[in-house]
Amino acid sequence: MSAATDPWPLRAPRLLGATALSIGSQVGGLVVLLARIVARLFPPRLDRAELLRNLHKMGVRSLPIVSVTALFVGAIMVIQAAPLVTRFNAREIVGWGAGFATLREVGPLLIALMFSGRVGANNTAELGTMVVTSQIDALRALAIDPIGYLVLPRVLSMVVMLFFLTIIGDVVAIGGAMVAGKVLLDVDPRSFLNSLFLLLDQWDLMTGLIKSVIFGAMIALTSCHFGLSVTGGAPGVGRAVNASVVAAASGIFILDYFSSFLLG
Amino acid sequence: MSIRFENVRKAFGSKVVLEDVGFEVGSGECFFIIGASGVGKSVLIKHLIGLLRPDGGSIYLDGEEVSRLTEKEFFSVRKKCAMVFQNSTLFDSMTCAENVALPLRKHKRLGAKAALKEALERLDTVHMREFANAYPPELGDGMQKRVAIARALTLDPRYVLFDEPTTSLDPVSARRVDQMIRELCDEVGVTSIVVSHDLRSIFGIADRICMLYKGHVRMLGTPEDFQTTDDPVVQQFINGRAEGPMEV
Repeated sequence: MSAATDPWPLRAPRLLGATALSIGSQVGGLVVLLARIVARLFPPRLDRAELLRNLHKMGVRSLPIVSVTALFVGAIMVIQAAPLVTRFNAREIVGWGAGFATLREVGPLLIALMFSGRVGANNTAELGTMVVTSQIDALRALAIDPIGYLVLPRVLSMVVMLFFLTIIGDVVAIGGAMVAGKVLLDVDPRSFLNSLFLLLDQWDLMTGLIKSVIFGAMIALTSCHFGLSVTGGAPGVGRAVNASVVAAASGIFILDYFSSFLLG
Repeated sequence: MSIRFENVRKAFGSKVVLEDVGFEVGSGECFFIIGASGVGKSVLIKHLIGLLRPDGGSIYLDGEEVSRLTEKEFFSVRKKCAMVFQNSTLFDSMTCAENVALPLRKHKRLGAKAALKEALERLDTVHMREFANAYPPELGDGMQKRVAIARALTLDPRYVLFDEPTTSLDPVSARRVDQMIRELCDEVGVTSIVVSHDLRSIFGIADRICMLYKGHVRMLGTPEDFQTTDDPVVQQFINGRAEGPMEV
C-alpha cells in the first residue's frame, strides 16, 4: 500500500516521521558543514581575492537596500509609538523608545531578513548552479578544496558584512526615527538625541550587534548548505533557494528568541 | 607508470552501472573508453581522481592503490592526474585567464600577476590568448573546451582524463582537439584516457580501445582489432547501425 492510499491514522505518523527525518537530516548537514568550516580555520588559509570579491558583493552592494529598510524601520517605530506618546504626553522619551526597539530587536532582525533575501538566496543559487554544472567537481579535480576556497570566504564575508551593515542600519534607522519624530510628533531632534543617549546604555547596542553576528552565521550556514546539496538540475536550484530562505528566516526567529532570552 | 582498474564495481541505488571492470593503461598511451550513452564511461574515469568511490574492486595509479584514499589524500593524485569535463566546467565568474591562473595561484604559489602572465602563455598554446579577458558564457563550446584543456594542463599532469572532449564541437574544432590530445601523448609523454563515442576520434588517434557494455568490458584492443572483430555488438557500435543485437 502506498503512502497516498494509507488510511489517515497511518498517514499522519508516516508524515510526521518523514518530516522529522528531513529536518534531522538538514540540521545534521548544517552541523557537518559548520565542523568542516571550523576545521579550515586552523590554520586559516583564505583566498584573498575570493574574500575581497565576496565582501564587496555581499556588503557594499547591500548597502542601498539595507539603508532604505533601516530608514523606514526607524520611522515605523515612531509611527507605532505616536498614539501612546500623544496620549501620555511622553515626547521626551521618544528617542529612547525608538532606539531601544531598533537597536536591540527590530533593526538587527529586519536587516538580517533583507540580507538573507538578497545575499543568502543569491549565494544558494550561485553555489547550486556550480554544483549542477559540475564546477564544484572541477574545483576538486584541480585539487582545490571547495570548502576552503568557496565556502569559508563566503561565510566570513556574510558574518562580517552583516555586522557592519547592522551598525550602519542602526544609525540610519535612528535618523529615520528622528525625522519621523519631528514631522509627526514635533519632537525636537536635540530632545530626541538626549533621551537616546541618556536612557540607552552600551549593552542595548551590543545586544543587537551580537544578534547580527549570530544571524549572519545562520544565513551563511543555511545558504551554503542548501547550495552545496542541490540535486536535480535547474528545478533543484530553485527548490534549494526556496528552502534556504525559509530555513534562514525560521532560524533567525528561533535564534532571536533564545538570544533575546539569554542576552536580557 | 600506469593506471590499473581491478574488478571495479559501482551501483547507484539498485542500478548496477559497473560490474567487474578491469584493464590497464600504459605510460604515454592514448587510451579510449567507448560504449553507448549511460554505460558508465564517465563514472569509471571519475573513480580515478576520487570524484566517485567504487563499491568494490581496486584502482591503482603508479602502483599505488587510490580507491581507498581520503578526499584530502586525493589532492596529490589530482595534481598529477587532471580531468577535462564534458561541459568544460569553467568558472563563470572568472575570465578565461583567471580560470587558467587559479591552479597556478593555488598550487605553484604564484602571485596574481605572475599567475596571469603564465596563464596567458598557456592560453597561447591553445590559440585562445586573444580571448583571455572574455568570460566563459561569452564563448562557444569549442573555445570553452580549449580553455578547459589549458586549465587542466597548468600543473603539467602526467595523466589527463578527457570526458567526451569532442562532443558538441564542429568537425574542425573536434579534429583540433584530437590533434592536441595526440600531441600530448607523443610530444609530452602524457598518458590520456579519453571517453568518447566520436568514431573519427576513436579511429584517428587511439592507441588502444576499451568498450564497455552492460557494466562489463566487452572488448579491449587496438583500433585494428576492433575493425576486424566478429563480435556483433562491437561491429554494430563502431559502424553506428540502428539494427543489431546491442541493447541500449
